[in-house]
Amino acid sequence: MKKSFIYYVLLMGTISLCFHCKKKETDGDEEIGTFDKSAMLSNYANQVITPNFVRSKQALDSFALAYTDFLQTKNTVNLITARQRFIRAYSAFQYISSFEFGPSENEFIRASFNTYPCDTSQIKANISTGNYDLNLVANLDAKGFPAIDYLLFGKSQSDATIVSLFDSNAQATNRSAYISNCLNEMQTKLNTVINSWNNSYKGTFVASTGSEIGSSLGMIVNQLNYELDALKNAKIGIPAGKKSMGVVLPEKCEAYYAQNYSVQLAKQCLQNLENVYLGRSITGSDGLGLDDYLDALKAQHTSGTLNNAIKNQFSIAKSKLGLIQEPLSNTVSTDVQAIDAAYVEIVKLLVLLKTDAPSVMGIIITYQDGDGD
Amino acid sequence: MLLLLWELLLPTKTAMAINRIKTYFTKSVHIAPLAVFRIAFGLLMLASIIRFIGKGWVYDMYIKPKVFFSYYGFEWVKPFGETGMYALFILMALAALCITVGFFYRLSSILFFLTFTYVELIDKTNYLNHYYFISIVSLLMIFLPAHRYFSIDSWRKQAIQVSHIPNYFLLIIKMQVFIVYFFAGIAKINSDWLVEAMPLKIWLPAHSEMPLIGKYLTKEWVAYAFSWFGCIYDILIPFFLFSERTIKPAYFFVIIFHLATSLFFNIGMFPYVMICLTTIFFSEKFHIWLINFLRQLLKLNMLPVTESVYQPDTLQVKLLKWLMVVHFSVQLALPFRYLFYDENLFWTEQGFRFSWRVMLMEKAGTAFFYVRDKHSGKEIEISNCDFLTPMQEKMMATQPDMLIQYAHLLKKEYEKNGLKDAEVLAESYVTLNGKPSALIVDKSTVLSHEVDNFKPKRWILPMPKNH
Repeated sequence: MKKSFIYYVLLMGTISLCFHCKKKETDGDEEIGTFDKSAMLSNYANQVITPNFVRSKQALDSFALAYTDFLQTKNTVNLITARQRFIRAYSAFQYISSFEFGPSENEFIRASFNTYPCDTSQIKANISTGNYDLNLVANLDAKGFPAIDYLLFGKSQSDATIVSLFDSNAQATNRSAYISNCLNEMQTKLNTVINSWNNSYKGTFVASTGSEIGSSLGMIVNQLNYELDALKNAKIGIPAGKKSMGVVLPEKCEAYYAQNYSVQLAKQCLQNLENVYLGRSITGSDGLGLDDYLDALKAQHTSGTLNNAIKNQFSIAKSKLGLIQEPLSNTVSTDVQAIDAAYVEIVKLLVLLKTDAPSVMGIIITYQDGDGD
Repeated sequence: MLLLLWELLLPTKTAMAINRIKTYFTKSVHIAPLAVFRIAFGLLMLASIIRFIGKGWVYDMYIKPKVFFSYYGFEWVKPFGETGMYALFILMALAALCITVGFFYRLSSILFFLTFTYVELIDKTNYLNHYYFISIVSLLMIFLPAHRYFSIDSWRKQAIQVSHIPNYFLLIIKMQVFIVYFFAGIAKINSDWLVEAMPLKIWLPAHSEMPLIGKYLTKEWVAYAFSWFGCIYDILIPFFLFSERTIKPAYFFVIIFHLATSLFFNIGMFPYVMICLTTIFFSEKFHIWLINFLRQLLKLNMLPVTESVYQPDTLQVKLLKWLMVVHFSVQLALPFRYLFYDENLFWTEQGFRFSWRVMLMEKAGTAFFYVRDKHSGKEIEISNCDFLTPMQEKMMATQPDMLIQYAHLLKKEYEKNGLKDAEVLAESYVTLNGKPSALIVDKSTVLSHEVDNFKPKRWILPMPKNH
């Protein structure tokens, strides 16, 4: 008995020793993933996430001012200014939508700001009674940007008609107040989020340097993918009929009533995702991000590094998306090829970001907790 | 055990060896190790069940999902709804408590085995080797006289109380533990694990932020050291546990190894289960001391146990013998069933489960499913989250049998809603141990036409060369 134990130990020991010596000779003392994760998280918190929230809030405030001007002097000039500021605020929102964790998650920013298509009959009912609670789940698709989009732009109505709806119409007061209430809710929520980040959450976020479910890195990567999935499905796939046997659903476009902006918003969404991936600040300086982490991990792809494959795919997807003409609600019927071309590249990007990248980072793409094997 | 067989092969002493084995199996040993095992198992299970309910997993895994991925042949195992599932878990917890204190032991061990195994069979999404281990141990415990000492049963009915039992009752558990470690060890003898140090080369650097040890986890040699140590540990530890001379250092390694795994991996209660249950290899002196300690701690007044050996009647012994021959034959054979399939085991996972292949691979995937109208050729891309929980989607994307099950489920769902002749297709990109993702199935296969059985799944795309 004793003998065979010793033999076994010796045998395994020798094998492992030989192996290690051999390894040492060829590879030297290799490092994998030496990387300052908390510096990366600090870059995300200070240079990427908080500044984008602040900018989004400023854009929203600026729209609120223009809207107040419009309510004071109801004419088409003021309406058009308000609309322009609205689009700017909607665009700025695309740069915060992917940060739905911590304070944003608590405030349900994504769902409260941008559940589309909006429920026009629910909005009309709310306006006509003047008695509604925007906090109710039933009003999720009757508030935020999509509701304001509907009210400010209308469907095939002249600018003068829209102005009159806020001016001489029987429900003008209720209608005017409805947008103000939606705006108020959004401003309050963004204030709460920004205060949270500036007070305690930034510290919590930067200190959570692990890779487990609920870690900061895990949340960034999961939300990056959630947003990319939304780009693929909600912004493009669903209007283009990918989920309806090819029957196009133009009314499901984001910013459907404003027209001419759905592709722009999609492009901004993708731009934000690239910024997040690179750790790029709003001023355009490239800080520590997922790209640097993947390089530190020496992650490879079929040819070259995984980081290069992802960066390359971002640029292909961006250029294909740029070839889709506005308004998207028409293009889904008129230029299926352009849409499909962009769609395919977004899917490829999704696979890289949802499968390859998290796998080498040791991050689980799931919003659910459980034991592993 | 294998060492005894080894000696059996020596031509000179065959007859003597057979005799020695017989004696080894039937010699009287103290029952205390078995009683301690019963108490430890019961308490661990009770804690696990409370933890499971507390984490909300009963809801997440058995109430919230709209569909479940059943095991081949166990399609009849269905969840019981919210009240039913919680009732089942409470029943399981009660059974664990009764096992601990040895109250209606036989009945409660049967009940525990049935409730636990039923829950595990509901959805293969939740398959863990650890759960499989618990199912098997609880099955084996039904046949053990673990309640004949230091239990409520033996206190109520002094007649069943014994001080000694035939050694084979302990060996049943010990052999099962042996199999778990040994097979987990030989499963690690593969090029990814030993030559590439994968997946530890991914999993360890992910913890580089840990205090003190974090900075070493990014060293490549550490990943190799962990891989090789893990492999050698798993293969050798059961031998060292079996020998009285080596049990002490071996147990030291058991503690180090399992605490390390619990530190680095999200594996819940399992490390503690193994740390506690391997004490069955300790000497009877230790267990008698432990029970006396417990007796004083709990201030239990019990009559001293008179020296007596439990001797089941011949029919029982015969039955037990054959049951165990069958059980351990199956245990030894199952991990090798993968040899019937020629494709890469990790890629296809044909014959992967129930083989103690623990923490062997980092596998992830993204699956896109399409329902096509056979007549018009038009198709819908499915949002998997409409049907599956995140966990189910994650597991389904990389496991071919689940891909088929999901395809059938979608076909049924869409035909129910009026789409005649629905065909389900899929594209799933899978990455294995850090290699570039590649399609495991593409749209050239009508997945809903495939049947899930034990035949090789020819539609699985070959693993790319660079994998």
